[in-house]
Parts: sequence; structure tokens; C-alpha cells
Amino acid sequence: MKTHDYEIPEGLCYSKEHEWALVKRDHVIVGITDYAQKALHEIVYVELPSLGSEIKQMKTMGTVESVKAVSEIFAPVSGKVVEINKNLVENPELLNNHPYTDGWIAKVKPTSLDSELKGLMNAQKYAEYIDKLEE
Amino acid sequence: MRNPPQKTHLYKFHAQRGRIEVFAGFEMPMWYKGIIPEHLAVRNGVGIFDVTHMGRTLISGPEAETFLNYITTNDVSTLTPLSAHYSTMCNPQGGIKDDFVLSRLEKEKFLIVYNASNREKDYNWMVNQLPRFNVDIKNVSDNVAMFAVQGPKAEQTLQKISSKDLSKIERFKCGWTELAGATTFIARTGYTGEDGFEVFVWDTSLTSPEKAVDVWNKVLEAGKEFGIEPCGLGARDTLRLEAGMCLYGNDIDEDVTPLEAGLGFVVKLQKGDFIGKNSLVKQKTEGVKRKRVGICMLEKGIPRPHYEVWKGKEKIGIVTSGTLSPVLKCGIAMARVPTEYSTEGEEVTVKIRDTFAKGKIVKFPFYDPTKYGYQRKTS
Repeated sequence: MKTHDYEIPEGLCYSKEHEWALVKRDHVIVGITDYAQKALHEIVYVELPSLGSEIKQMKTMGTVESVKAVSEIFAPVSGKVVEINKNLVENPELLNNHPYTDGWIAKVKPTSLDSELKGLMNAQKYAEYIDKLEE
Repeated sequence: MRNPPQKTHLYKFHAQRGRIEVFAGFEMPMWYKGIIPEHLAVRNGVGIFDVTHMGRTLISGPEAETFLNYITTNDVSTLTPLSAHYSTMCNPQGGIKDDFVLSRLEKEKFLIVYNASNREKDYNWMVNQLPRFNVDIKNVSDNVAMFAVQGPKAEQTLQKISSKDLSKIERFKCGWTELAGATTFIARTGYTGEDGFEVFVWDTSLTSPEKAVDVWNKVLEAGKEFGIEPCGLGARDTLRLEAGMCLYGNDIDEDVTPLEAGLGFVVKLQKGDFIGKNSLVKQKTEGVKRKRVGICMLEKGIPRPHYEVWKGKEKIGIVTSGTLSPVLKCGIAMARVPTEYSTEGEEVTVKIRDTFAKGKIVKFPFYDPTKYGYQRKTS
């Protein structure tokens, strides 16, 4: 779905800090939303979480920088980082061009997924959340 | 700060085409297409900036030169009519009240253009020094729009709509011309490191902005063949930083003297008395203890204001401005460090969050001046 020119794919879980999580059978893929990349504009630098590190829901797992500003990436779920998207280091613009596909940030082996998913929004709820921000 | 934020003549254009943010009490465009494409348009062709938020004041009268020589650090007596120079005003301690460009319109008439963030402070400061001088001062900020047209194609762009031969106006010279039919004062100055002009559209109030809007649109039209871009304050900041020019409030302020900021070339201690002179003479005699330097990053990471600068295990200074350089494609910064660490080539580290990234002290501008900027060897 779409609101205010922001893409919000169905089937993902969304955080208030504008990260998304896609739940797979044995891992979760995480990234930043279209709203986040449009707000940052021209992403020129990314700091990824380290491979094997433990990340905690709503705690910093990395940073993205535009020419003008630094933004933290907050983990949408807790768990162990089992894969990172190394392409982003040399091609940070993937976050602007394909935030939900080639611009994924990390794959995480979740530790408390069931309870944490309750704190995230579905596409419909996230769209309503953005509508409020844009008012 | 004023409340609510003010709008310039071009507000409608900015709101339709750009991302608006409030800067120094004005709703200004941060970018239109993006900071990087706008930055590169200026380095490679031409760009136009609305800088009407800056302060513009006319100073006239028999003692205008004497007055300005007393409140500024550069030597106003060397400024011939239709010339401009960069200068600073200092407090009695030698700290910079503001930096600005002063143009001499006539023997007894000057135009001072200062930072938006200091509009009220500067005007009040000048008014407070007035009583001893036979001088009139008139704030024309709201009746004169100001654009910067910058880049190697700036002259060719403006020439298409100018009544005057612009090649006759050299760098830091100025003059009057009809631009797209409007009376404008034009100075070959800027804040990008490139050749270019600052254009003052006379007699166009904020309530009847048509004349200013028309000149803006005609410049965009004239520059089309050179790939002109309207540019926001984002690119203005990255361009001035690459060129090694100070931003007031970041790199310089009332606690920094022009000598510490590397602006000794606008401090003329041999001229008569001026505000701050005694402090500056003393500092010059004793030697400056800290300096403004450029740091070019050797490792990944973008330095930002307030990040710490380290040498080995010791914190030695602070970043005052920093960004990713669109031309060099690496992090660049201005920093304040002790004089002993300010030598070109000195290796330092910048603390970026939890890591220390290597950088080295370089001279300004950051880019190769034979390839970019107003001194480039034309290709």
C-alpha cells in the first residue's frame, strides 16, 4: 500500500522509528522504511551492526548518514546478527533506491520474536501512523 | 529569533520545488533536487541560491569610511568605489562579532552584507557605535532581494540578460546593471569558492515580490544550456566548507579572534584605532595558541560539528564543521586545535561515535585549486 507517496509493503512489521522486519522461517530480515530514506535523502554512509553481535529491540544497531545529518538505526527485533548487507558499505544509495529489497540491512536470529512482534505495526497501522506524522 | 518565521520573495518557488527548513528565522530551501547534484552543478556549471535571508545595510555620509574603519578590521581606505572586500567586526576582546562582505558603492556610501543569524545583533552594534560619527545607516534587507549565481558558467549565464559587459567586473569588483530589465547591483563575490556573482535586486519589497521572482526565473532560463540548478542552503554549506570558508556560529564566534581563525589577511593592524585592535595586537605579539585547520579524512567516516579531535591518547581539539565532500568523496572538517598541531600533514584522529578515524591536517581549499574554484585552469 501507499500513503503520502510512501511505499508500505504488506506483510512486513514496522517500528515507530521507521524500521521494517520481515519474518522468515528461521530468521528476520530488517531494514529502514521508504519514509525513513525519504526523510534522510541522499544517504552517503552506513554503519552496519557487526556480524555475530547481539542486538536489542529499540536499541541502536547502526547508523545512516546523509550529507547533512546522522541518524541511528534502531533494531526492530532482538537477536543475533547472522548476516549483514555488505553491499551497503560501498553502495549506500541502495537504501534510497530499494529500501525494502536490495537495501536490507541485516538478517537476525530472533530471541524473543513472539512478544516483540506485538510492539510492531502492520502495514495498515504504520500507514495510519505516518498519516498522523504528516498532518 | 523572530516568530513566526519570515519568508523571502521566492518562498512560493522554494515551497513548490524544495525541502523547506527554518534557518535563522527564515523558511529557506535546504535542497531541491539534492545537496550533491546541486553542489556539482555549481562546481561544474552554474547554480543560483536565494540568500535574501542575509542582512543588508547601507552606510553613508561624510564619515562613513572613518566609521567603518573603526568598527571593522580590514582597511576601508584601500577600498575604491565599486570594489568589495571580506572583513570582520570584533568585540573589544578581539572576538569576532561577525564576518561579512563590504562593498563601496560611492566615495561616501557602502553596502554591508552580513550573516542572517546576526541580523539584529550587527545592526544594533553598528547603531550603538554611531553617535560619534556623521553617518547614516539604513537597513535595506526587506527591500532588496539577494541571489548568488555561482559557478564557472555564472558570467555566461548572467551576461545573456545583463545590460552591462560583465567581463569588465573583476573578482571583488561590483557595479550596477539592468538584469532582465530590473535595476540590480552586482558584485563578483560569493561563498562557494567558484567564480560568480551576488546579485542585489533593488526596490522589491516582500509584499510585492514580482520583480525578484522575475529575475530569478530569467536567470534559471538563461542558465538552462549550462545545466543550472536552483540550490539550497545544504549545498551552500558543503560548497563553502570545501572552499575552506568560515560559517559564523560554527567555525567562528565571539570567543574566536580572526587571527585564530586564519583570517589575519583581513586584520590590518597598521591602520588607525578600531574596536578590538589592542587585544589583537597583543595576541599577534604573543602568538596565537590555537588555530582553525582543515582535516581531510584518511579513513571512512564523516566528521561532524562537536566531534573530538585526538592526537595519540590526548584530546586536542574539536570539529567545528564537517561533511562528506561531494568532490573529494571523503570526509572533510574544520577544527580548532592548538597551534603546535596545526601544521600541514600532521596526522590526527577524529572520534566518530565509538571509533577513532584517521585524518590529516590540510590547507584550504580542500580541493585542488587548479581543477576547481575561481582559480582553476580553464578546461
